[in-house]
Amino acid sequence: MSTPSADRTGIDPRGPRFGAALTSGLLLVTVVLGLAGDDATAFWLLVAITLLFAWGALAGIRRHPFGILFARLVRPRLAPPMELEDPRPPRFAQGVGFAVALAGVVLSLAGVSLAVPIAAAIAFFAAFLNAAFGFCLGCQVYLLLVRARLIPQN
Amino acid sequence: MSALAAGLALLAAATATGFVWRSRQGVAHAARPETVSARELGTPALGERATLLQFSTEFCAQCPATARLLGGLAGERPGVEHVEIDLTRRAELADRFRIAQTPTTLVLDGAGTVLARIGGTPRRDDIIERLDRTLRSHRVNTIR
Repeated sequence: MSTPSADRTGIDPRGPRFGAALTSGLLLVTVVLGLAGDDATAFWLLVAITLLFAWGALAGIRRHPFGILFARLVRPRLAPPMELEDPRPPRFAQGVGFAVALAGVVLSLAGVSLAVPIAAAIAFFAAFLNAAFGFCLGCQVYLLLVRARLIPQN
Repeated sequence: MSALAAGLALLAAATATGFVWRSRQGVAHAARPETVSARELGTPALGERATLLQFSTEFCAQCPATARLLGGLAGERPGVEHVEIDLTRRAELADRFRIAQTPTTLVLDGAGTVLARIGGTPRRDDIIERLDRTLRSHRVNTIR
């Protein structure tokens, strides 16, 4: 049965990418500090990033601090978007980021060395690909979940 | 390697990956020859002369824009259908057609043979060229 695509009530697609750009900057700093031996700063930076991801996953991308920053400071200076996009995939990607960052925090507390820079590097890769190239990690992971039969099939 | 150099290497690797990924998006690739039937998709009928078969999911940022592009192209060409399948509840079709990303578009001729496969939003000039080439040279489905 074919279903026509429809834009759900949408968001400016540039908002999540702006947020992803800020997040990837923070993550890259985390990687460098972690590799340089400043373990404490890198750890707490990753904790802060984990909390930001959690906020985005729970409250949605519009109410994420970077989403709010975009709406108040950046969006008014831009021309209106050509089209709106579904906010659920970016929100889902926040959940994926949360899982990766949380794993880094937990493994670090468990004593795994380099857990923080490695987790931050993985999350950076995904956030950067989204910010710079528009790659939709949430969309990709969702398809993998469908194929793994983790999405209810009715 | 210093931490800063490692950070720059990571940035370079991510940038290179992004360019490679983007270069492959929307480009039509020759596909393994296989035949698609309307029945296995659960749609009424395929196009008499060609079909633009789009696989989507519920969480797919580029799918609506792709549907508009393909629907528009099909609408301009008699005998060409745009068929969109939502894979969210039909995982078996995702496996059957080896769907690795959404949207994925298959260009079919009038007999339902797969001629090309496109991942991501198809590049407009590329898909028009493929489609018009298909209409000029391939079989028409005369079986009703």
